[in-house]
Amino acid sequence: MSRWALPDLPGLAERALGHTHGRNAIASVVRERSLLMRFAAGRPTQATAIDDVTVEVAVASDGRVGRAATNDTSDDGLRACARSAAAAAGALAVPGSFPGFGPVGEAPAHAGHDPATAALDPADGGRALAAAFEVAGAEGTEAHGGWTAAEEERAVASSEGGIASDRTTDAFMKVICIAPGGRSGYAGRASVAAGGLDPAALARRAAGKATLAGEPAAIGPGERTVVFEASAVGTLLDLLGGAAFDGLAHTEGRGALAGRIGHRVAAPGVNLSESPRFAATLQRGIDPEGTAKVPVPLIQDGVAAGVVHDLRSAAASGAASTGNALAPGGDPEGPRPTNMVLIGGGAAGEDELCEGVERGVYVTRLWYANLVRQRESLVTAVTRDGTFLIEDGRVTRPANDLRLTDSVLGILARTAALGARQELVSEAEYYGRRFATATACPPLRARGVRFTA
Amino acid sequence: MRELLLDLVDAAARHADYADARHVATRRERLATRNGVLDDVLAEDSDGVGIRVRVGGAWGFAAVRGSGRAECEAALGRALAVARAQPAAAGGPLAPETPAEGAWSSPCERDPFDVPLDRKLATLLETDAAIRAGGGIAVAIAHFEGRRIVTTFASSEGAACVQSVTECGGGIAALAVDGEDSQIRSYPASHGGQVDQAGYEGFMRLRLADHAPRIAEEAAALLKAPACPAGRMTLILAGEQLGLQIHESIGHAVELDRVLGREISYAGGSYAGPDAVGSLRIGSPLVNVTADASTPGALGTFRWDDEGVEAQALPIVRGGVLAGFLSSRESAAEIGLGRSGGCARASGFDRQPLVRMTNVNLDPGDAGSLDDLIAATGEGLLIESNRSWSIDDRRLHFQFGGEAAWEIRGGERGRLLRNPSYSGLTPQFWGSCDAVCSAPAWGVTSLIDCGKGEPGQFVRVSHGSAPARFQDVEVGVA
Repeated sequence: MSRWALPDLPGLAERALGHTHGRNAIASVVRERSLLMRFAAGRPTQATAIDDVTVEVAVASDGRVGRAATNDTSDDGLRACARSAAAAAGALAVPGSFPGFGPVGEAPAHAGHDPATAALDPADGGRALAAAFEVAGAEGTEAHGGWTAAEEERAVASSEGGIASDRTTDAFMKVICIAPGGRSGYAGRASVAAGGLDPAALARRAAGKATLAGEPAAIGPGERTVVFEASAVGTLLDLLGGAAFDGLAHTEGRGALAGRIGHRVAAPGVNLSESPRFAATLQRGIDPEGTAKVPVPLIQDGVAAGVVHDLRSAAASGAASTGNALAPGGDPEGPRPTNMVLIGGGAAGEDELCEGVERGVYVTRLWYANLVRQRESLVTAVTRDGTFLIEDGRVTRPANDLRLTDSVLGILARTAALGARQELVSEAEYYGRRFATATACPPLRARGVRFTA
Repeated sequence: MRELLLDLVDAAARHADYADARHVATRRERLATRNGVLDDVLAEDSDGVGIRVRVGGAWGFAAVRGSGRAECEAALGRALAVARAQPAAAGGPLAPETPAEGAWSSPCERDPFDVPLDRKLATLLETDAAIRAGGGIAVAIAHFEGRRIVTTFASSEGAACVQSVTECGGGIAALAVDGEDSQIRSYPASHGGQVDQAGYEGFMRLRLADHAPRIAEEAAALLKAPACPAGRMTLILAGEQLGLQIHESIGHAVELDRVLGREISYAGGSYAGPDAVGSLRIGSPLVNVTADASTPGALGTFRWDDEGVEAQALPIVRGGVLAGFLSSRESAAEIGLGRSGGCARASGFDRQPLVRMTNVNLDPGDAGSLDDLIAATGEGLLIESNRSWSIDDRRLHFQFGGEAAWEIRGGERGRLLRNPSYSGLTPQFWGSCDAVCSAPAWGVTSLIDCGKGEPGQFVRVSHGSAPARFQDVEVGVA
């Protein structure tokens, strides 16, 4: 077969698997077609179109897993890839603990694919940029940001039988507007469909923050009542995903929920789950091991309920995989939630969350957020692009940016109210092969949030 | 390959003001053991072509796997379509550059891909066992990394060059856990260990097994160690932590695309303005920083960047004052520089070049060895390895956490302290630098996951430094 005649992905997975010669193995194939346009100061800066495929073969032998990956889909390329994986699995005679690959079932149906988005028409991106530029300019601000859309196709074949395939699309746009005085505002949104993004509305929201009048308030370190927009909540939950819900870390005793399942870890109103087919998320059917993704309660009514697993962490903990592998055979970092959903509360929106706050901080977005200590779910991040002072129940004026250093579980424990409406938020950080994830979450209000600078 | 790329850029030149094409073939091997069993054994290879065009002021870039002529021509069509689809923008010139021509390879004594897999894994398992030998370790990890990247580049201005880079290294980590806490120690560094432009000799000279017992003992000891105190004190940074401090607070801040506001939407801006060279003080007179794309063995070393600009050593800070920026051809021209700084780098064929660090090095001072510096410090803290990091979008306010700290008391290295952290504002922090160790104490640390760009790119860089001392630093903040 010619290297460039790309077959259907299930067929490619089967061809790759065929070169493993009956070993316990899995072939996982991903094709990314994506388009990303960036802009700064009201003009385009970079635009990237990618069309690539990654074939990953994982061979299990005596508890060990060897993996190899290539983007060469010729028979020679697939043979070499399978040979590398087999050699890696057969290296040394030290047994491992991997349980082996099982059969692959059919991927559950979902609504995570939009054919119009999959067309990847650059004109759609061009129109999105133009709309954002127009609104931002009319508001007297300059627009920075990005627009992206992609189709991801995945197929997984197992030596133990079965083949599963999945197709998803994702789109994301963010707009940061900067006012002449230097104040900035952010708005962003993820969606299965590019048509679900509203560039003008995003620009209006961002510009509104950038142009909010008033002398900036100087807020110092200390514990504050905070209203977090959904974007900031998503950032915190994303960090918690790695700190608390990684089944491997949990099993090894280093996860933030180790020894705490069944115990109260958050306010009673906090209900967080991994919900791969929740309508508002970037839905997925299978993970790279071909396991059908299943819903997993993570925190129920404030009580720690569970963690997510891939085949490796599941075997280590006596559980079943939840379809959260990042790589066949298990990523060294362990499994991760990909479709977290935080259930909304009773507040109509951010304005209502601010009501009753005598003096507090409104946070649009958290930036450069990183884990400080995993067991404590302690993180640090800085606020950015829309930090405001709340006085007497409403946002009154801009405020300086602050550094948050606090426990995510602690913030969730001090959560007093949640907004009713969820947003699908993402940082859209597509390093390596695109694997789009996003979190559906509402804004929330928490007391005693610790700012260290 | 050269002919294909030249044909592509010739074809592109009929429709674009400028075009370049890169074919990148990458081979990587990543090995790890965890508690005595194989944990990660991954062999990766990929190749493809990325084509970049400039139409008016708009860039278009398209990437396609492999090197099939028809597929590459289709990718060129996509690059042009993407460029044209964007709102019109005026484009300035690119800084002039003599077209690159020739070939270059990084030094490699022993090809890491020729070393039998069993031998590499045996070394890791031996090291893994050494970590666990003393008991008290919940997770022991030993890892190896080998990578080769062969890049062929051509531009519509006549450049045609090829370079091959081989990298090799590894590291270890020991994690100790009790009911309430977990503590980790790594060697030589926490972020991917130490990787150099080298062959297998780069991995072997790390002598990981020799350091395993100490790392394990320190991880276990940290569980019972006193917490890092809070307050303002003298701080000595060395090794990885000093490299990361340079990286985050100086290296990123002098990327000219950030300075010009082109990265606001993701990476952020900078405390430095485009006219700050020669006037902005960001450190004490002892602080001299050079971005040197020719540092031997370092990951930011090359013959040409990904725009075909020859490697340079750029003064970044001289006597504490900003002396220059990291730049690409577009950004250099925008502020009137006569030439790009040669800092446009891409992480692979499917990403376009951005302004990136090369090897942003703190030049050595005259404070002798680390032991000399400790002896000359009455009381303070020493932090060498990193555990957490964060800095604001203008690269001003930072907060770092270390894996461990050592108390300095009476000029001697004292107790081990757990959960050290410190924070500060970049100019004040570097302004408080009152000692930098001498050239014999100078060494290079690597970072293999410097993230920037959309879609994201992990680029590898190194930082040379000798241990340095800072006064009146806020510690114990997290």
